[in-house]
Amino acid sequence: MKGTNLGELEELILLTVGILYKEAYGVAVMDEIEKQTGRSLNISAVHAVLQRLEEKGLATSKMSEPTGERGGRRKRIFFLTASGKKALAEANELRNQLFNQIPKVALGSLKFEV
Amino acid sequence: MIKRSPPKWADRFLEWYCNPSRLEAIQGDVYELYHRSAKVRSKRIANFLFIWNVFRFFRWSNIKRSKTSSPATYMMYRNYFTVFKRGFVKQKGYSFLNISGLAIGISCFLLISLYIKDEYSFDRMHSKADRIYRIHEIFQSEGVGERSASQPFPVAQALLNDHPSQILKAVRVFNFQAPTLALSTIDNKKEFNESRLFFADSAFFELFDFPLLEGDPSDALAKPLSIVITESMARKYFDNEDPMGKFLRFQGRQNLLVTGVLKDIPANTHFQFDFLVSFQTLIPETYNEVVPERWHWYWNPCWTYLLLKDQEAARQVQASMSAFVQKYFSELVRNDVSMELMPLTDIHLKSRMDYEIQPNGSLTTIYVFASIAFFVLLIACINFINLSTARAAKRAKEVGMRKTLGGQKFQLVGQFLFESILLCFLSVLIAVIVVGFALPFFNTFAEKNIEITVLLEPFYLGLLTLLPLGVGFLSGIYPAFVLSSFRPITALKSLGSQEKGSGFRKALVVVQFTLSIILLIGTGVAIDQLEMLQNSDTGFARENVVMIPVSRTPIAKNYLSLRNEFLRNPNALSVTAVEEIVGAKHQVGNFLIERMEVSKPLPRLTIRHDFIKTFDIPLVAGRDYSEDIHTDDSLALLVNETFVRQMGWKSNEDAIGKKFDNRADRMIVGVVKDFNFASRHQPIHPLVLKLNTQDQAFEVFIKYMAVRITGKDTPTTLEWLEQQWKAQMPGWPFQYFFLENDLEKLYKAENKMSKITFIFSGLSIFVACLGLFGLSTYTAEQRKKEMSIRKVLGSSDSEIFLLFSKHFFKLIVIANVIAFPLAYIVMKRWLATFAYQVNIDFKLFVLAGSAAIAIAFVTIAYQAMRTANNNPADVLKSE
Repeated sequence: MKGTNLGELEELILLTVGILYKEAYGVAVMDEIEKQTGRSLNISAVHAVLQRLEEKGLATSKMSEPTGERGGRRKRIFFLTASGKKALAEANELRNQLFNQIPKVALGSLKFEV
Repeated sequence: MIKRSPPKWADRFLEWYCNPSRLEAIQGDVYELYHRSAKVRSKRIANFLFIWNVFRFFRWSNIKRSKTSSPATYMMYRNYFTVFKRGFVKQKGYSFLNISGLAIGISCFLLISLYIKDEYSFDRMHSKADRIYRIHEIFQSEGVGERSASQPFPVAQALLNDHPSQILKAVRVFNFQAPTLALSTIDNKKEFNESRLFFADSAFFELFDFPLLEGDPSDALAKPLSIVITESMARKYFDNEDPMGKFLRFQGRQNLLVTGVLKDIPANTHFQFDFLVSFQTLIPETYNEVVPERWHWYWNPCWTYLLLKDQEAARQVQASMSAFVQKYFSELVRNDVSMELMPLTDIHLKSRMDYEIQPNGSLTTIYVFASIAFFVLLIACINFINLSTARAAKRAKEVGMRKTLGGQKFQLVGQFLFESILLCFLSVLIAVIVVGFALPFFNTFAEKNIEITVLLEPFYLGLLTLLPLGVGFLSGIYPAFVLSSFRPITALKSLGSQEKGSGFRKALVVVQFTLSIILLIGTGVAIDQLEMLQNSDTGFARENVVMIPVSRTPIAKNYLSLRNEFLRNPNALSVTAVEEIVGAKHQVGNFLIERMEVSKPLPRLTIRHDFIKTFDIPLVAGRDYSEDIHTDDSLALLVNETFVRQMGWKSNEDAIGKKFDNRADRMIVGVVKDFNFASRHQPIHPLVLKLNTQDQAFEVFIKYMAVRITGKDTPTTLEWLEQQWKAQMPGWPFQYFFLENDLEKLYKAENKMSKITFIFSGLSIFVACLGLFGLSTYTAEQRKKEMSIRKVLGSSDSEIFLLFSKHFFKLIVIANVIAFPLAYIVMKRWLATFAYQVNIDFKLFVLAGSAAIAIAFVTIAYQAMRTANNNPADVLKSE
């Protein structure tokens, strides 16, 4: 899908959804991001982004089985769609391409193997 | 583990606002987080975090959307409109009644509100109006004296000197207190006695924004012998020529240069004039500023207007008034004088002083009118409610259908409110058209000049929108609820239970008629009172008395010869001269009687010989002034009975010989019977009739000659008088009026009020009857079956008739019973504002009550007859 530019947070959450395959719901995404990046997001922000991703077609959601701990309420589990996966891959590739073009001199002492 | 639960209210809040499709997941998440934090943190923090999250979720995308979508509601209203239109056309009669009743009510309300608004707009056209005050002088001792709207000459300057920072400008307006002043063109081709000519200080245009069509407001009145005239006057004296730079001759002696032309003065000012002459013209001849004389601080003919800096300055000036009086007024009077500031905008409605420039309006009248307006509107609204509710039963089937198909109560209420408001809008439209046609008549009647364009002002546009909304809502809400509460089954079965709400309807009819009867009684009493005021005996002769204004004319030298010439006509009975119009106005003078320590102000009329003969006032003790006794004009005094009483003397005879002015040779020589020398709004006060035969009296004191004629051959007698006048006073126009005509003007306000009240009470009864007619038509239909069955069972036609009428009669009788005491109380209170009150005639009540009953009877008779004459077979066929 041309023109779907992923925002920074959107990409982050989309990646997390990928990581948490089959377990990706609001609280879990929030926890995972905190664990991996140290950023503590508010649950409503996470929900907002997840909805946006779904609207853009990069993710899709399904209701899970009812769980006892949430008073019998079901969770909404998110999955990557084909276009979501593609968007992530493209974004990643683009970033690497650009990074590799930075002259060694500018990077200074940073030595990176890509 | 499930012991803890998050704050319920936040939870419910979430459930309330959240979109159901997302609620489950969101609520689940916040619950999970709550339990988590409850485990590691304190309960309070957990609660707080929960609430915090709930609020963070309160975003546009999560909020419930309303269920109704736009296209549906639009369709619904279109349907309402169609139904309304059909209903309207099908029941043309009712709709017509309804609308016309309401339209009449609203037009009355509008007309009266226009009147009231106009009254309140007086004097507000000046940009500085809120800072302009008039200063009044109250000169009284023991409640007797004068409350004057005008001040002595030097007051204006003295005020300016004493309060330079608070009083910015002062303007005096003066006209010799003369009823007319003579003005003519230079060549004497046109000469008139002008009643609206005034002298004014040059600062006049700095206070009042009367626009000048020609001339410069800043110096038009600066130089002596200048005059500013209105455009109508310009046409009157100069035809179509430009008056600027031309001259007008004043009193045959002074030539005044025209320095400005004014636009005609609008009707809504308390003071209208045709000419303004510069005040400097009076100096030094009439008033010598530089050389003080005793009368300077006594005679108070100047209406004095002040431009103050602001409200605070007004307070300060008012507070220093008593010190001011003590400082400037002479010893004789300073303890009896007090001064008051009155804001310019209050003058028209609230000022009831003596010596107003022209008669003012009255706040009482406004209150009365306002109440009438509300009454009429209320009656019309009640009509509306009644008729709508009554018709409601006819729509029972429709309501039943709607409810069955899923209409909710509030939707039905909405529909009927919509119809009611629409009907009201139509009524308002019609009312505006009616007002448009009626306005010219109303204007002549109420002596106003209201233009139809006033209705386009934002105030009125707002009123005209709110009124139907308000009235439609209030009138519609009751029927709407009655209708929407019909149970579908009963409605569809058309058992036509019209008993619902009929009690309320009856109560409303009673209220309507009560109000109308009160209005009728009120009008009757007002007319009675007016009759009494105008026609009852005032104690002096009012008919066939010819009054000739003579002030500021050179009558002095010719008075006696003129009088003798007048008397040669066999139809002239007696001739005298007097200070003011007897019965309308009087002056006040200071008198020192017998054992008084200081002289006191007392009402006074300066007269010439034969006064009591001309006016037919009986003498009750002593003697009249006599021409044979030449010392009479300085050594004798004539007083009235109330004077004797107030002095505390034992009898009228006792008064003869009492001294005045502390001199042994000055004494009271006669006592006259009390007569109403002022309007009957006030009781009779003590009066001194002072003879003054000096020539100078005609300059200031004596303003009229009075001739009593027999009433036979009046036109020829008047011609004779005119001839004699022209012979003795060449060049001076002969003007006269009849005393009784002039006295009628005293009661102008009450006259107007009673006429208007009469018309509007008539209208209110009419509207109430419209309602009654509608209601009776409706009841007739409803009870058709019942009546037919009765007929079949043997009732006669007349029995049916009576039965039907009784139903309504009861209501009117109740209305009467309630109205009588209420009307009595209200009328008593109104009459208390008069010094002379008419006795409230009980016959009036009976008359009003019977009138109401009779009218109501006629209204329902038609329906009653129809019901009685119904062929039972026709009616019961369709059972």
